[in-house]
Amino acid sequence: MSYMYLTNISGGPSVTPNTAPLHQDPGMERSFRQEVGKLRLGDGAVFHGEGILAVTKALLQSGVSYVGGYQGAPVSHLMDVLNDARELLDELGVHVESNASEAGAAAMLGASINYPLRGAVAFKSPVGTNVASDALSNLASAGVRGGVLIVLGEDYGEGSSIIQERSHAFAMKSQLWLLDPRPNLPKIVELVEQGFELSEASNTPVLLELRIRACHLHGSFATRANRAPAISTRQPLPAPDFDFERICLPPATYAQERHKVEVRWPAAVRFIRERGLNEVFPGDLDEIGIICQGGLYNATLRALELLGLADASGNSRVPICCLNVTYPLVPEELVDFCRDRRAVLVVEEGQPACLEDALLAILRRHDVGEVRVLGKGGGPGTAVLPLAGEYTGEVMLNGVARFLEAAAPRGIALPEIGARLRALTEPKRRAAALLGEPVPARPPGFCVGCPERPVFAAMKLAERSTGSFHVSADIGCHTFSTLPPFNIGHTVLGYGLGLASNSAVQPLSGRRSVTVMGDGGFWHNGLTTGVANAVFNRDDGVLLILKNGYSSATGTQELPSSPRHSAHKASGMSIEGALRGVGVRWIRNVDSYKVARMRRTLTAAMNSKDQGLKVIVADGECQLERQRRVRPEAAQRLAAGDRLRRVRYGVDEDTCTGDHSCISLSGCPTLTIKDNPDPLRRDPVTTVIDGCVGCGLCGENAHAAVLCPSFYRTEVIQNPRWFDRALERLRAVVRRLLP
Amino acid sequence: MSGPERSLTVLVAALGGEGGGVLADWLIDAATRCDLPAQRTSIPGVSQRTGATTYYLEIHTRRRGQTAGSGPVMSLTPSPGNVDLVVASELIEAGRALQDGYVTPGLTTLISSTHRIYATAEKTPATDGRFDGSRVLAAARELAARTVLFDMSLVARDEGTIINAVLFGAIAGSGVLPLPRSACEEAIRAAGRGAEASLRGFAAGFAIAAGERVAPAAAPPPGSAAPDARIVAAFPPPTHELLSLGAVRLDDYQGPRYTDLYLARLRGVLALDRGPGFELTNEVGRQLALWMSYEDIIRVADLKTRPGRFARIRREVRAAEHEPVVIIDYLKPGIEEFAALLPRPLGRRLLAWAERRGRLDAYNVGLHLKTSGAAGFLLMRALSWLRPWRPYGWRHDEEQRLIEGWLASVRAAAATDRGHAIEIARAAEVVKGYGETRRRGLEEFRRRLTALATGPTSGLASPSGAS
Repeated sequence: MSYMYLTNISGGPSVTPNTAPLHQDPGMERSFRQEVGKLRLGDGAVFHGEGILAVTKALLQSGVSYVGGYQGAPVSHLMDVLNDARELLDELGVHVESNASEAGAAAMLGASINYPLRGAVAFKSPVGTNVASDALSNLASAGVRGGVLIVLGEDYGEGSSIIQERSHAFAMKSQLWLLDPRPNLPKIVELVEQGFELSEASNTPVLLELRIRACHLHGSFATRANRAPAISTRQPLPAPDFDFERICLPPATYAQERHKVEVRWPAAVRFIRERGLNEVFPGDLDEIGIICQGGLYNATLRALELLGLADASGNSRVPICCLNVTYPLVPEELVDFCRDRRAVLVVEEGQPACLEDALLAILRRHDVGEVRVLGKGGGPGTAVLPLAGEYTGEVMLNGVARFLEAAAPRGIALPEIGARLRALTEPKRRAAALLGEPVPARPPGFCVGCPERPVFAAMKLAERSTGSFHVSADIGCHTFSTLPPFNIGHTVLGYGLGLASNSAVQPLSGRRSVTVMGDGGFWHNGLTTGVANAVFNRDDGVLLILKNGYSSATGTQELPSSPRHSAHKASGMSIEGALRGVGVRWIRNVDSYKVARMRRTLTAAMNSKDQGLKVIVADGECQLERQRRVRPEAAQRLAAGDRLRRVRYGVDEDTCTGDHSCISLSGCPTLTIKDNPDPLRRDPVTTVIDGCVGCGLCGENAHAAVLCPSFYRTEVIQNPRWFDRALERLRAVVRRLLP
Repeated sequence: MSGPERSLTVLVAALGGEGGGVLADWLIDAATRCDLPAQRTSIPGVSQRTGATTYYLEIHTRRRGQTAGSGPVMSLTPSPGNVDLVVASELIEAGRALQDGYVTPGLTTLISSTHRIYATAEKTPATDGRFDGSRVLAAARELAARTVLFDMSLVARDEGTIINAVLFGAIAGSGVLPLPRSACEEAIRAAGRGAEASLRGFAAGFAIAAGERVAPAAAPPPGSAAPDARIVAAFPPPTHELLSLGAVRLDDYQGPRYTDLYLARLRGVLALDRGPGFELTNEVGRQLALWMSYEDIIRVADLKTRPGRFARIRREVRAAEHEPVVIIDYLKPGIEEFAALLPRPLGRRLLAWAERRGRLDAYNVGLHLKTSGAAGFLLMRALSWLRPWRPYGWRHDEEQRLIEGWLASVRAAAATDRGHAIEIARAAEVVKGYGETRRRGLEEFRRRLTALATGPTSGLASPSGAS
């Protein structure tokens, strides 16, 4: 972004944008007014927008009584938009709540156990589902009266930020039904509505799995009017209902388990079959067929199109069975599809191969022996697709081609398919040769001006005097500390679990170790599982809490300790207060940007005689959120003629010797390199480019690490007054007069 | 294109915070205005956070209602060999698209900015770790059916907008998508805020891609010095340019007598250098000029108070004519910097004491000096006046001793193996920086020299200051 902004992070009023005119600027001023408008669309209107927003609209069309969730890519948007749609929700009588964690969200679904309420929650999966699984198991055991839909953002493959697992096993172990819709907005919306019906028909919670790209899929669908729920905040429940059969305690749990397999499962299979939730697309090459997860239908079709076996409108020569419901499977459907074929390909992303294994078992049980099943394989010649990893365009192309080659159905020319594949994939080999070596990776990192970067710079410097120590990292933006240039953090075990993951390291390492936790992780889990437990067990470690005020990594959602709150949230909850409340004695609050002070405090904590948990709260507001607020303010004040200082840092190119040690302590995107202007030097010099928000870290580092005299701070006085100009003239005279 | 019923596929490779999402929205909006079915998806990842992000779009070539069957089925991921348009906001991101096989001869139009935003892995090495961008350009020109390559960051800067607007203009100007200019401009206007600046960037990108306007040129490479009479007289022509640069630098650093010392030292090397290109003399000439103009307080104070610096900084922060600019320098001199200026015996003793006690970095004074102000400027300028004193200080003595030791090694090697001598000469490149960085550089230099050592290394084996 071609802006320079003063931030004046340590407090102070003057914040101004650059002289360039204000223009479109991605990510600024998070307001979801436009999206909220789309939620109001009535019968026969056309919705244009993202997949996850389409799901949000579909929930309202399905007459939900309540919605909850926990932020996390790629489903944060659902709750973000609903939180801005209070007016509409009040009209409909829908209760919306940002839950404390995924466990909280899943537990909220308990409202549908006894009462005929439709409810939905959304979170990231499988990590969120892990957190939620206690409540989900109980919910699934008790069964539901009202339809329950759990929207899972399947964070798998490129762009994922978590461990690579799949959510499928949760469905299998708890008997939850799993929808995996064809990635097409009308289909997704249809399945949301049918998902509630399925849930009610089988008294079972339903999972709706959406991959990252499907959540961000921009398309359109014809809307229906929202349905106000029969029971709502406007029409409350008549009376509480008690039914021991719904309590998760023996002997009811034994009955519940039997009910799952004897009643609910068959009901679900019947519903899926009768309502045609899965789709079969015919083709003339009927010796073979492809069975795919709904979410991978488009990718399958594109691979066939590129190999000359399908067209752009979805007409495929190879028959396709598209499973929009991947659990439970409908054995009759699969037997019908596979019978009389020589080979089928199973397209199933992630591992283990749950669908493929289930298909093999079904075929065996139904004595369908003649069909070969290819896919992830295991048997001789059956592996045509990789066991692990995202099924990208390239993977699908190669997999489908290998399947065709192995199955060799009558009616296609294999050499032609081979030639097409080679033509498609040859440029990649040629490019590798021309580039000579792989281009540098570009993982995400801390934003420009991020308050967390200086904390890790301080930690690196502290280690020079304390010696290196074990750092238990946590989940959040701060996990980027594990990447270059900091490479800080030895383990990541889960959200808010940093301190708990350190509990055996600390006593066994013979010296103090450090745990890093964000304020999001603190409220999610860290306060109880981490801090209270550490105090209770007389842990002697050091905990560093990065208090940036928001759940930043998921889109700057509010936290209990956020500096500002929406009207529908309570305020005044403090991390320091909570720490004192659970008995932490040693608490220091340090401005995140004060590198030298942070270094001293860390060193003091490491060497302190205090034998309890020592907590340092690094206090610095998320720069993304801060800039969203201060930029428009500053532009306004500038236009009004206020005197403002615009701050930015710089590096003197002729005193910089190009050793880049400053970059190793910062990693700021705006602290970079350029060609050395000195014709005698070859190594690039350091430079500060446009986009610097003037956070001051370079200067702080230059001082704290005694780097070099090349850094300077500049302040451009905007709308200068007469005394500014007079002073400037005087200075010019002094500079001219001196030799 | 293989047939009429096909979706055009577009891959946008951008960096977080560059507005790749806005660009994708504009494209979808423009396509919708043309009644063409279009779909987009993205891997924004943790987008604002500077990592590579991609957006993938498909735009159908037939209007809604004219498509066969139930309408097109579009993919959510690009496939190799099947991308019509690759748009990259930065050169290495174009390289990544090439590397992934998305640029296909006869099919793909590649539109990319040629500027570089360096990855962390390229920035942190103490020397030059940059990827060679010319390879990406060569691969692009060979593999793409058509390329539109220019520095869009410069255009964006000139037009007061961000790069996505210029990219959008270049897409429209290239004519590769069935989106008329008016539909694209309406999409920008409809997006609201800052539309005027975006439209300026769009117009510039459009004109350059359509060949109606020439792309702005990059800054010229650093200049060279006029041949110096002292050098022309005593050195062969292939060394004139570089040694003249060295001479100018040392004249400026300490005066002509110091330059004479430089040239005398080089004559000793030249006598052993016989190549047609005199690579050894050139390499020693380069390293020696840099080493002899080592950075001390006097040098830093001098460089920071030159009139050219104030003008450069004003340009850099883009201050308007009437806007005063305050410059605050971050300095943290310590014992070493102080000792450098003391007479030799005193300086040596002070440093030896500090080193013994491990207090070399203990007494640094952090200064925020307002060099733009009268008092700050006067103080800084006064320090630069100490230049005549420099040769009497401890540091001068120490540096010359190290230099002589290094030169002796170079000469000893040159007598037998010129290539080896050049390597020894080049080893001096790690001696740079300030304070601890420089001490580490010096250690690294000694290590390299030991590894290369065949000749005398006297004066280099013992640590500085304590001898």
